[in-house]
Amino acid sequence: MKKLNIMIITALLLVGCNNFEEDININPNVPSQASGTQLIANAMLSLSGLSSSPQGEFMSQYLSETQYVNASLYPQSSTSFYGWYQGPLMNLQTVLNAADELSGVEGPVSNQLAVAKILKSYYIWNLTDRWGDIPYTEALSGADNFTPAYDSQESIYTDLFNVLDEASSQIVPGSITNDIIYNGDMSKWSKLANTLKMLMALRLSEVNPTLGKEKFAAAVQSGVLASNSDNLVFRHLNDANNQNYWFSQLNQGREWWAISSTLMDKMKPVGDPRLMVYGNANRTDGDYTGLVFGETVDIDTEKYALLGDAITAQDAPVYLVTYAQVLFAQAEAAKLGWITGGDATAEENYTMAIEASMDQWGADTSMLADFMAQPEIAYSADMAIEQIATQRWVHLFMHGYEGWAEYRRTGYPNNMVAPGGAEVPNRQIYIETEQFNNTENYNEAVQRQFGGTESLYGKVWWDIN
Amino acid sequence: MKKNYAITLLFLFGFLVSIPMYAQQTVKGKVTAQEDGEPLPGVSIVVQGSSTGTVTDLDGNYSIAVPGTESVLVYSFIGYETQNKIVGNSSEINISLSEDISQLGEVVVTALGITRDERSIGYSTQEVKGENLTYTKEQNVLGSLSGKVAGVQVTGSSGASMGGTQKIKIRGVNSISGGGEPLMVVDGTPISNSNFSGASGQDYGNLGQDINPDDIETINVLKGPAASALYGIRGQYGVIMITTKKGKKGSDVKVELSSAVFVDKVTNLMPYQNLYGGGSSQTWRTLPNGDKYVDMSVDESWGPKTDGTLVRQIMSFYPQDPTYEQLTPFQAYPDNIKDYYETGTNVNNGVTITGGGASSNFRVSLNDTRIQGVEPNTSLKRNNVGLGLGIDLTKKLRLTTNINYAANKGRRPGQGSEDGSRYLGQWFQRSMDMNRLKDYQYDDGTFLHWNLRRPSSSTGEITNYNPLYWANPYFLAYENFSDDNRDRFFGDVGVSYQIMPELKVSAFVRSDMYTQNINSRASFGGTGNPGYSVGKYQNTEMNYEVLAQYNKVWNKFSLDANVGGNLYDRNYSYLSMATVGGLTSPGFYNINASIDRPSTSSYQQKKQIKSAYAMVSLGYNNTYFVDASLRNDNSSTLPVDNNSYWYPSLSASWVFSELIKSETMTLGKLRLSYAQAGSDLSPYSTTSFFNVGSTYTGASTVNTLSVPDNLNNPNIKPSFAHSYEAGVDFKFYEGRVGLSFTYYNQRNENQILNLDVSGTSGFGSATINAGEIVNKGLELAITATPFRSEKFNWDVAFNLSRNRNEVVELYPGIDVYQYGSTTYSSTSSYLNSYVGKPFGSLVGQAYQRDEATGKILLGSNNMPLYTDATHDFGTVLPDFNGGFQNVLNYQNFQLAAMIDFQAGGQFFSRSKMLAVRTGLDPISAAINDNGMNVRDPLAEGGGVKVEGVSAETGEEVTAYVDAKAYYGVVARRIYEDWLYDASFIRLREVSLSYNFNKAQYAKLPVENVRVAFVGRNLAMLFQNAPKGINPAELSTGSQAIGWYESGQLPSVRSFGVNLNVTF
Repeated sequence: MKKLNIMIITALLLVGCNNFEEDININPNVPSQASGTQLIANAMLSLSGLSSSPQGEFMSQYLSETQYVNASLYPQSSTSFYGWYQGPLMNLQTVLNAADELSGVEGPVSNQLAVAKILKSYYIWNLTDRWGDIPYTEALSGADNFTPAYDSQESIYTDLFNVLDEASSQIVPGSITNDIIYNGDMSKWSKLANTLKMLMALRLSEVNPTLGKEKFAAAVQSGVLASNSDNLVFRHLNDANNQNYWFSQLNQGREWWAISSTLMDKMKPVGDPRLMVYGNANRTDGDYTGLVFGETVDIDTEKYALLGDAITAQDAPVYLVTYAQVLFAQAEAAKLGWITGGDATAEENYTMAIEASMDQWGADTSMLADFMAQPEIAYSADMAIEQIATQRWVHLFMHGYEGWAEYRRTGYPNNMVAPGGAEVPNRQIYIETEQFNNTENYNEAVQRQFGGTESLYGKVWWDIN
Repeated sequence: MKKNYAITLLFLFGFLVSIPMYAQQTVKGKVTAQEDGEPLPGVSIVVQGSSTGTVTDLDGNYSIAVPGTESVLVYSFIGYETQNKIVGNSSEINISLSEDISQLGEVVVTALGITRDERSIGYSTQEVKGENLTYTKEQNVLGSLSGKVAGVQVTGSSGASMGGTQKIKIRGVNSISGGGEPLMVVDGTPISNSNFSGASGQDYGNLGQDINPDDIETINVLKGPAASALYGIRGQYGVIMITTKKGKKGSDVKVELSSAVFVDKVTNLMPYQNLYGGGSSQTWRTLPNGDKYVDMSVDESWGPKTDGTLVRQIMSFYPQDPTYEQLTPFQAYPDNIKDYYETGTNVNNGVTITGGGASSNFRVSLNDTRIQGVEPNTSLKRNNVGLGLGIDLTKKLRLTTNINYAANKGRRPGQGSEDGSRYLGQWFQRSMDMNRLKDYQYDDGTFLHWNLRRPSSSTGEITNYNPLYWANPYFLAYENFSDDNRDRFFGDVGVSYQIMPELKVSAFVRSDMYTQNINSRASFGGTGNPGYSVGKYQNTEMNYEVLAQYNKVWNKFSLDANVGGNLYDRNYSYLSMATVGGLTSPGFYNINASIDRPSTSSYQQKKQIKSAYAMVSLGYNNTYFVDASLRNDNSSTLPVDNNSYWYPSLSASWVFSELIKSETMTLGKLRLSYAQAGSDLSPYSTTSFFNVGSTYTGASTVNTLSVPDNLNNPNIKPSFAHSYEAGVDFKFYEGRVGLSFTYYNQRNENQILNLDVSGTSGFGSATINAGEIVNKGLELAITATPFRSEKFNWDVAFNLSRNRNEVVELYPGIDVYQYGSTTYSSTSSYLNSYVGKPFGSLVGQAYQRDEATGKILLGSNNMPLYTDATHDFGTVLPDFNGGFQNVLNYQNFQLAAMIDFQAGGQFFSRSKMLAVRTGLDPISAAINDNGMNVRDPLAEGGGVKVEGVSAETGEEVTAYVDAKAYYGVVARRIYEDWLYDASFIRLREVSLSYNFNKAQYAKLPVENVRVAFVGRNLAMLFQNAPKGINPAELSTGSQAIGWYESGQLPSVRSFGVNLNVTF
């Protein structure tokens, strides 16, 4: 039995105590530390996704499908917003949570935080405009709260105004590194923050014009985008790792999208030079032919103007917040009396807006004066709001969700169609897994906004008509 | 013994008959084992018809007084055939006993390779003999376990996958995350059974198949924690213990050759309609010159009638084609999909040499398997080399080693709805002649594809010869293939030292190492960018083990004690690279040819488990046994300050037949056990990290980092299973009838889950300890020899198991766990688990129904309305499964047949749904009750008849709707129609063999020759699922649970000849 005891001792020695090499459970394959600007840069990579989506183009009826057209072009089932929270927003939140640990080597910490706040606000704004109430204040808390409550859109707007002010005011001299968008130029970030506030203020034109007017004026006062070089643009590269979404789709041979008749009817009759950029001539007779939105019968892609080469180039940029939008906003604000100058200022801004848009899109402007002189285009005090809204919609081409939001607010363009009775939706439906994973809060939000049942046609807070 | 009796006699007991005694004489002698000549101690010797008896001593000697010369001595010993001998005038009778094959299983291999007398074990084990697994030469031998062990469910894959995944679940789903594969152990060495397949794509199969089937002596399944508690943190989901064949000391050298040739044929294809051909409308499209043409841009068969109309078909648009610009008749090709498949072959050759000297034994085996798959350009080549060696270095010191090498080289078909040729059953034209697609490349290098953009409406010529959605299947098979190979070594080297007769210590170094390579290519001229990817995966698992074994018998007590320790050390790494943005030149497949910065990743992983364990078994009077074991595990993957856990077990067995002393009931045993076992998690799950994002090379190069989608947990604990088990084992009529019945209850707590959480938390999932899942079940195993005579024998084995599962608890506030989802055309279905229900509810869109009548609600266009994707269709788990095996021996003939079956369970079939949606399926061209085809115009009485209740008016509606529009909704949005019962009864194996042996055929130049005709996967005797979909082959790659079918590989039926020659 003595030998047995020896064996037991040997066995225990072999097994030893419960100590392992110290770093045995530290993942050697991925970094355990991250720099703030690298996280922010990753969040920037997702920006183009706010625009590059067929669904957005359908919501705003910029594009018509040539394949798999359904009786209903709109997603009757849910659309997920999880990717935005898990992706860019969580990266940005991680930066904001680590305020004390950020490295000044990558530029002033205050500026890193400002950029994180501006980008977070921009993403959140996009989400609330698409879905309505969304988790915000309790969101992005990880293990502290796996079931965040939904904030009302009104309270989100209120908070975003504050956060953008905060961000804008904390910007100090000194650029930050790893800035894919503005290459570290903080003055442009400041202008962007104010522009976001301005455009958000305009969204309130129906629901709370008083607050809208106040915030709008304050934003203009602080300094907004002043040229196309200030634009928030995601510049894709001639590199499959960072290529334009539409290129990746068409590169697979998908001739799935044509310019819609809705858009064609606003551009072709007036000889809009942007049309040559937006679309390619059809291959049957070289003309520009729009495809009726929702058309389901026998669609020959040859007959229609498909997406333009400039739009589908591998490195085609994605325009997100633009100088032309600022000018259209100021034109509208002047017309509404939110800023001074009345029709004169409205006309001036309206004209400049179209010029800025032509410039941005690289349209042939040799005949611009003739174009502007046409009765449909030339500023008319009686038609001003419709003209501004319609031209803004034409300008916002390919930024479908923004074009759709402005349509919901203004009701223009006036020629949106309802194929098979399917009207343009008013919002998107929450991802259905929220019903499983965040049941109580989901139910509460749906009850609060839509009386218990959600659909594409429930209205978000600012959309009162 | 020639009595006939039926199984119904199972519970009847015989009576003793006593015979008077006569005058006495004494007989002495020695009993030895026939196999190795070693003396057999403890053999029982009884004078027939009396109660006089004795047993042999340690040297096999005995002495017994007998009544007279007519007396008959009965020599019996567990595991050996009983012999009778008439005493006559002999005073010395030496007997050699041979092993009794029918009674094998009396000694079983238990955890850690400890062999135990079966009667002393307090839990259920079930053993399968190697020969039972190998004669059908299934490519993945684990598949042959199906139906052979009660409580083991094997979900297979098609033979077309050539060694595809065989998923083994023991006693139901014990992990809420659906995982829970048993540990595989070969000769005491744990080996990896991991899987490199995804849910779609190539199915590389589970790695456990690297064992050479011909080497398997037995497979013993340790079904639950009670049996596997000694594996502690690795034992929660049971253990598959494989023991390989060994040479025997002092035996002659024996050479055995085996050769098998199999032919594989695709069977059970889905039916297709042949009335309408390719296109989206019955109206012909025309070229500028007025010629009708088949719409090559449509991958569906809603086109015109296949009535022989002269039309331009796809080939006629290729200037290189002999039919260029020619009109040919538009007709259906009923066998076009069948024509794609080839006849597969499987050639298997093996040789084994066994033998032994006075103090050594050895076995060497070689195997070569070459398979040509039923899909074009698919193959598998496998080589196995095995060596088993034992040498007595001294009388007390013994060295043993087992070394196994396996080499695999595969080119496998893709599976899943969008992989390889799998689209053919879902997106195709019934009017396409497969034989014309076979020559997929013209002399000038142009590839022939059938699915292109339409020709120019001005010139009538095709302008873009790149395929639109689908490439020619032959192009995919011969240009876009994927190659894989794996080299693998596993085995052990051990020494054991017999310190004293009762005490033996041994030490082992065990290793399992493999290198897996996978590369795949996408050629120029296909649907997407050309590309190339390579991956190299390396794994080394070492186990260092010591074990002390103490056995002692005194008076009526027996003691069996084991103490041991183990260090597990795993190193895993991979390198994978893929081109991005295309390749620089056609035909050059290299990462260097990447147009943009290739994506690369390197990965390494290390894990250790330190374990100590002890086990004690105490027996009294060979009747009462109590076992206790305890294991301590420290896993490096758990949080540093909380990584040590204990796993106890307790079991008891009571051999009550010792007390009853019935002649009929050879064995009656009651067993009870309780145990805990566990499982840990993969390394690096307790600390936080960041992912490396893509690099943006603009004005400057920006490297990005991101927060991962899963939230790691620094406070994780191992998962624990608590298992109770009770059972009875009977053997009647000296083992002619055996019955084993078990009830178990396994409660799995503290599951380690990557629980899906609301993405608004910033994470898609979080690693947590939560949840409880309970499995309760019954297992029944019956073996019987209903008929036995000198010439004819009939053996039967029957297994049945029933498992009931409930998810008792998830995470506070969360009552649904999503195992998986599958999406097509923006419509998803899910496999969810709900608290209070069995694991794995199929969830998806169902018909909206009128509350009062239950009838389907119809919209304004008379189309059915459907719910959102939250309808629970119930669990996918089966109610029962089992198997039934019959072996008939008549003289030298043997006929064996194996049936496996499953009752209940369900799955979703995307293949069927899409076949209907795209107009391939016969129901899309059925005759309606007006006697018209559903595709005929509504005005003429065509259309699909829809009956339901109008959602608007509430009135009952009967209407006819356009077939294409109807199936566009029903076969795309309403999953309710595409769920099928997974019950089946399958005739899995049949073999007919004949044995020639030297005893009977003196001229035979060899010892023995066995010829067998074998059929594998012969017929589905019953299934509820529609023809063409195999409910028994739902393994869908490495997915732990097979719950949907999507582009399943076709079933394969195999016939072959198997030749065994022993020298």
